[in-house]
Amino acid sequence: MDTEGTRRITSAAGLYVPLLLGAVVAVTLGVYGNVHTPTGVSVNVAGFSGPMEVKVWLASGAALLALVQLVTALAMWGKLGPGMPSWLGPLHRWSGRGAFLLAVPVAVHCLYALGFADYNLRTLAHSLLGCFFFGAFTVKMLSLPKRGLPGWTLPLLGGAVFTALIGLWLTSSLWFFTTFGVRF
Amino acid sequence: MKRNGPLITLLAGLALAAVLITVNLTVNAPGGADPDPAGFGAAAPTATAAAPATEAPATSPPADPPPSEPAAKVNALWAGPVDGGGATIAIAVTDGVAVAYLCDGKKAEVWLQGTAAAGKLELTGAKGATLTGTFGGGKAAGTLAAAGRTWKFTAPAVKKPSGLYRATATVRGAKVVGGWIVLPNGSQVGVVSVDGQPGPAPAIDPATGAVTVDGAALTATPVTGALTGN
Repeated sequence: MDTEGTRRITSAAGLYVPLLLGAVVAVTLGVYGNVHTPTGVSVNVAGFSGPMEVKVWLASGAALLALVQLVTALAMWGKLGPGMPSWLGPLHRWSGRGAFLLAVPVAVHCLYALGFADYNLRTLAHSLLGCFFFGAFTVKMLSLPKRGLPGWTLPLLGGAVFTALIGLWLTSSLWFFTTFGVRF
Repeated sequence: MKRNGPLITLLAGLALAAVLITVNLTVNAPGGADPDPAGFGAAAPTATAAAPATEAPATSPPADPPPSEPAAKVNALWAGPVDGGGATIAIAVTDGVAVAYLCDGKKAEVWLQGTAAAGKLELTGAKGATLTGTFGGGKAAGTLAAAGRTWKFTAPAVKKPSGLYRATATVRGAKVVGGWIVLPNGSQVGVVSVDGQPGPAPAIDPATGAVTVDGAALTATPVTGALTGN
């Protein structure tokens, strides 16, 4: 992606606006989750026994796509050997979009029905990671089209987004599966 | 490469979130009457409508400080019928550990466990049951969701011998778990499950907790702290 023939002066200054907007997103989500009184209920998706089941499976789908993200990103950066098939870029982009769009309904339910929770370490970590994830994703999306950013920008942001999403999955879906069993 | 692709992705996510929130606000608009307060158990796949959470008790006059100072561990007991009747709920909090019990006195019951801290209740139970709510000013209010149903409640604080009682035992090889809610007017509701089969519970003696289930003498004890034996 950074294979432009002309050498540009790299500067992290281009990250200021994306970082600022990402921070706005993360803080907004956290404040909303705290201020909005959780309703406990939210619209459901047909075919599942309850909204929690919907969430854990959507989140699991997102986590699976995140693993695709990690592998394709490694390949794109030549970490899995030389040569990059042409479908790798589209696969990375579309798996990322899929993961993001799967995560949005989960976040809406979390924030609308449950709110920002801090009554134990799991829920606190999950709430913080959730806000961070959408902030970090915003930064990554806004940084992608920018030229002249330092080489570490995308790996760092991508790694942060990936880590946050996996952390979110571990603190929600895995907890749910181990607490209540694997159910639909 | 399409340079505005990432921006479109972000906007698509934003649009999706906006649609979902709009649908939520529409579906959960006030006025959605609960069609069948007592008939829970049949898992309805759709979230039944419920009014947005009631006014937070935290808005009560600051003159009387609630028993829940942020630093102190919460100890409290609330009990009362759910909105619309049909079931009764009790929540017992010991040092911040909350146990909630909802039952109809016939065959439906839900046990939940979680925390009460900083004016907020967060509990979960078997099969994905959840309870979220607020407390303060001598009452607890919130929403309980279980088995595809939701109940809203505003329960006043009560004192012993009112409150939440529980008994667990093994009677002739069968696992017996009973729950009782004793209300300030002396009435009580309870459900006893024998090997997972729920049924109406015989009355307990609130003074001693003595109760006879299937011919066996059991003792129901006030719930204090985390649930055991289930």
